[in-house]
Amino acid sequence: MSLKRNLGLDILSEKYAYATDEITGYTSARKIPDNWVATTCGYCSVGCGMFVGVKDGRAVAVRGNPAHPVNSGTLCPKGLAEHYTLEAPDRVKYPLLRKNGKFTRISWNEALDAMAENFLAVQAKHGPEALGIISTGQLVTEEYYTLGKLVQLGFGTSNYDGNTTLCMSTAVSGYKRSFGSDGPPGAYEDLQKADVVFLIGANIAENHPILCQHLEANPRKTLIVADPRVTKTAMISDVFLPLKPRSDIALINGMIHVLIQAGMIDRDYIAHHTTGFEELAQAVRKYTPRYVSEITGLEEELILKVAFLYGNAKAAFIGWTMGVNHSTKGTETVNAINNLALITGNIGRDGASPFSITGQCNAMGTRESGFASSLPGYRKFENADDRRELAHLWGIPQERIPAARGLAYPDIVEAAVKKKIRALWVIATNPIVSFPNLGVLRQSLESVDFLVVQDGFHPTPTSELAHLVLPAAIWGEKEGTYTNSERRVSKVNRAVNPPGEAKPDFEIFLNMAKKLGCYDELFPGWGTPRDAFEEWKRVSAGRLCDYSGMSYELIEQHGGIQWPFPQGTQQVTTSRLYVDGRFQTEDGRARLFCVEWEPFPEQPSAEFPFVLNTGRTVEHWHTRTKTGQVPILERMAPNAWLEMNPKDAHKLKLRLHDRVDVVSRRGRISSVELRVTEIVAPGQVFVPFHFVETNANQVTQSAFDPISREPNYKQSAVRVEKSEKFGEPRGKARLRRRSLWPRRQRSSSL
Amino acid sequence: MLALAEAPEAEKIDLAEVSPADLSLRIPARSPGAGEQYRFHFNMGKCIGCKCCVVACNEQNGNPAEINWRRVGEVEGGWYPNTRRFHISMGCNHCLEPSCLIGCPVEAYTKDSATGIVQHSPDACIGCQYCTWNCSYGVPQYNPERGVVGKCDMCHGRLAEGREPACVYACPEEAIRIEIVRIEEWKRDYADANAPGLPSADDSISTTRITLPRNLPPDTRKSDIYRIRTEAPHWPLVVMTVLTQLSVGTFATLWLLQIFGTSTSLTTTALLALLVGGLALGASTLHLGRPVHAYRALKMWKRSWLSREVLLFTCFSAVAGVYAGLLTLRLPGSSTVGPLTILLGIAGVTASAWIYRVPARPAWNSRHTPADFLLTGALLGLLFAGACGVISGRALMIGSVIAASAQLLNQATKFLWMTASESHELRSTARLLSTTLASQFLTRAGLLIAGGAVLPLFSQGRLSTSAAFAVALAGEILGRYLFFVSVVPKNMAAPYLAAEQSAA
Repeated sequence: MSLKRNLGLDILSEKYAYATDEITGYTSARKIPDNWVATTCGYCSVGCGMFVGVKDGRAVAVRGNPAHPVNSGTLCPKGLAEHYTLEAPDRVKYPLLRKNGKFTRISWNEALDAMAENFLAVQAKHGPEALGIISTGQLVTEEYYTLGKLVQLGFGTSNYDGNTTLCMSTAVSGYKRSFGSDGPPGAYEDLQKADVVFLIGANIAENHPILCQHLEANPRKTLIVADPRVTKTAMISDVFLPLKPRSDIALINGMIHVLIQAGMIDRDYIAHHTTGFEELAQAVRKYTPRYVSEITGLEEELILKVAFLYGNAKAAFIGWTMGVNHSTKGTETVNAINNLALITGNIGRDGASPFSITGQCNAMGTRESGFASSLPGYRKFENADDRRELAHLWGIPQERIPAARGLAYPDIVEAAVKKKIRALWVIATNPIVSFPNLGVLRQSLESVDFLVVQDGFHPTPTSELAHLVLPAAIWGEKEGTYTNSERRVSKVNRAVNPPGEAKPDFEIFLNMAKKLGCYDELFPGWGTPRDAFEEWKRVSAGRLCDYSGMSYELIEQHGGIQWPFPQGTQQVTTSRLYVDGRFQTEDGRARLFCVEWEPFPEQPSAEFPFVLNTGRTVEHWHTRTKTGQVPILERMAPNAWLEMNPKDAHKLKLRLHDRVDVVSRRGRISSVELRVTEIVAPGQVFVPFHFVETNANQVTQSAFDPISREPNYKQSAVRVEKSEKFGEPRGKARLRRRSLWPRRQRSSSL
Repeated sequence: MLALAEAPEAEKIDLAEVSPADLSLRIPARSPGAGEQYRFHFNMGKCIGCKCCVVACNEQNGNPAEINWRRVGEVEGGWYPNTRRFHISMGCNHCLEPSCLIGCPVEAYTKDSATGIVQHSPDACIGCQYCTWNCSYGVPQYNPERGVVGKCDMCHGRLAEGREPACVYACPEEAIRIEIVRIEEWKRDYADANAPGLPSADDSISTTRITLPRNLPPDTRKSDIYRIRTEAPHWPLVVMTVLTQLSVGTFATLWLLQIFGTSTSLTTTALLALLVGGLALGASTLHLGRPVHAYRALKMWKRSWLSREVLLFTCFSAVAGVYAGLLTLRLPGSSTVGPLTILLGIAGVTASAWIYRVPARPAWNSRHTPADFLLTGALLGLLFAGACGVISGRALMIGSVIAASAQLLNQATKFLWMTASESHELRSTARLLSTTLASQFLTRAGLLIAGGAVLPLFSQGRLSTSAAFAVALAGEILGRYLFFVSVVPKNMAAPYLAAEQSAA
């Protein structure tokens, strides 16, 4: 600090001055940009429209887009501080190759050569199936489309999946089974038009706060929330169902049973648009209110009340997120939800929809255009017509298109442990924090001969293990489109240049294709994301996710356009799927599946008496590679905590703010701050998963949904112990925690 | 287990007529008239604790992450599954009797006559941080980068443009709004300014109206209630208060000696005491964010105890200088200047103590504080005079033992009073002193006994008196350090997780 400052002659008046921006009004002068770049938020799937303020080539501010149909100008705290991610200290600027254990700066040419050499060597020795690619829900659709072709047709491997399998694959599988295709049928507008909104395992007030304003705008609705934990969303509900963990199938079957008994079902809709009703009616007979009450812990009266509320609704909306998806019975739970919606005709109408609220900003994009769990355009691997059509569109022999999907994410991990996968490319995801049962995952990443991590940040807990780090541009530095939960395709634009030599993933993929020699065949003449978008429009034409009537300009003009939007569509309006009751199955009818409740796999025991639930907090995004570097978000949520009911804390002689360890059969979370609270039921504990310092996935299990392959993150059996380190001064604990990552390797890297 | 969280019916009807874009409901359509002012309205039942307002406020004002002019805290009550956790979002309450403004020595605060907004001028501010002690809600925050305090000004610049404040605009739930309040009506009944998790609005008559949820569990309380942290020690103030008291005590001793007709020369002692007092006043400017503007602190002597303290100590120093000069030059008049010196000195120490008598800091806000300060002066003044060799024997022994015993009694009764108190803040201070700070607290008592009573009782030689003085000085400095660090201020509820302590 200067002498003038120390004496008090200088109070940084210029830095703290105010001025009036012609658009945003009176504000901090240094936050007034030269121009505002319209874009879409890069965190979650709500898909808020926003502007990035750019001054002298730097992003200095953001603001919500008041004209955007999704958010009407508001943003969540992460979005409001999103510009800070662009200049975060751990942005990676140059390609880095591990040489003698140390990361060394290399040129892009060397980096792509290194990757091609190593991948091709593995391919030559062990076959193309020895290559694995784990991608993300964070890229733009144009990049997924490009990456899918590069991986499947360029590298020739099908062992390609995304971290979307860790959050949304269950919804995908459930939709495919019930309706014949993926695709959430409803729209956010339904939250405003429904008279009953039923949220199952969805804490939107914490995780999708901007959706709450759609609820808020609906004064007529009754909000029902089912969750084992008294979440922020439970607290704004009209009827809260504090059900036992993973008893939702029983609850839904019970509601179906009550509605059938009471005759409160849409027989006409069932007769014309579904199959399997008789079997379903038979299967749910045993789910009497008494039986459901035993399983769920809810009073019979409450079960009846909720069934009648739902049954009487003119339009009922069901929304769900990870409480349903993170389960070995997830897909079937989605089917049960769809059953309930179908037998009451609550689909394809204003306010009526079984609606999966997605996680990542563009998880939907990879579902539509990716080439991982299905062929682009919701085409099926196993369908020869689909393969033929795609081969024709691409002008390649049909045989080159695989007839079955490759390994899913958990199976890629397992294959790497077994040395069946030898080279792995991880793109924009951080499995060390996000994948369950850390021990196995770490073994997997350490087993491969060559690990490439392509990310905007380094070191991340995952990139620390890489052989090669490819520096990628992030949100705000590249162009393309995102699709949000309600199928709204929105434009993402470049506001600033990527740092150093970092490049948009799109360019990295095209340059890789050039190295492999498949650029001219797969991406002839491509230079910008628009080239990919134009081809994707043709590929999507005629499909459920039809983009063919869209253009970048039209999307920008309307603040996003919902698909299907076939060529020739005249008006941009709210769209819903299955309005005509015709589904994507061969006979056009939706399938009703009989689904049985089962206890969750790892039941608590004397040794591990607690059921551990995991989740999030509004200040952070996923594994904190971004939000952990935004000071204000870090300050508001500086560390993880473990929620425990006072009854249990009393038994264990634990007090508020104690440091505790959470132990399961697989590992231990050390020194997490205890929060004694009535938010959780006795016998249950909760921890947020964002924090690598107290990594929740050290204790979660390797149990996966057999259909969607999504992990069962919730309901791990654990015990809680007072940490030995407890009592140490907070400052020291903090220092040590910080030193775990990412500072450790900074000295050894560039 | 029928867990029905009843929705507040009244609000539903209210909302039916509202479109989200309807600006007029977020801010008043007109400016406040005569006898009116703007205020915040916060709807606790609507807030989902997303903290958008906090981030938006920081962006609006360009503040660093450590400084949050708007904060969100948590309160919680009820039993599973009928648990309720509510959030309180708060900026400045633009009080009718703003304690920040009343205490400010330099008139950095003004209450705008047209809008009622309490505004702070960084240019006028000298960074004394007295307002941060005065506000029961912890609203003003010191920015060490600038050396001045800052606070929420209701985005007056935006209101003037007909725009909502940043927090109001950012709230996805419309939980924060601006309203117009009739001042006289509010003065008569401001019960709606109170809420669980907030200090009583009595301290300053907060104007923020809070709509409480209908189904607030009776046991709803702050989530951070068990997280008690020590406050900043303010070392320049520890030194300043103890040494000014020492100086005043020494002059008082000298004057008494003079009255009783001592034969010893008082010159050296008087000059030393003057020097110590001067150093103390100098040291105090180090506490300021803008030491060069220290003189401005004289400005608000009609209102601010801080101004009065500065004024009285300045006068004391001047008159004490004259007194010391008269004593040195053996000129007449010292018998009249002497009492004036003592009077100004005691007035200064008392003003000093009254600075700390603020409702926002309950452990300071009692008679124990002036007693503490005056007894420190008496004890250290006596022993300092003893160490300088102008007093010894029985008088020194008796005086010192009385002063030390009184101080010990003062500290002990204060501790017991706090332990038995209903006030969370007072009990928390007692808890800090008996847990985290227990060893320092006991050491402080030990030094007081040793320096003030044991050593003077057993030997009154100059060397041992010097030792006694050194021990007692250490005891009083440690005591003053504890005074600053152990105070638990009133504040709004904080989040359960602790952010790193801000610099204020």
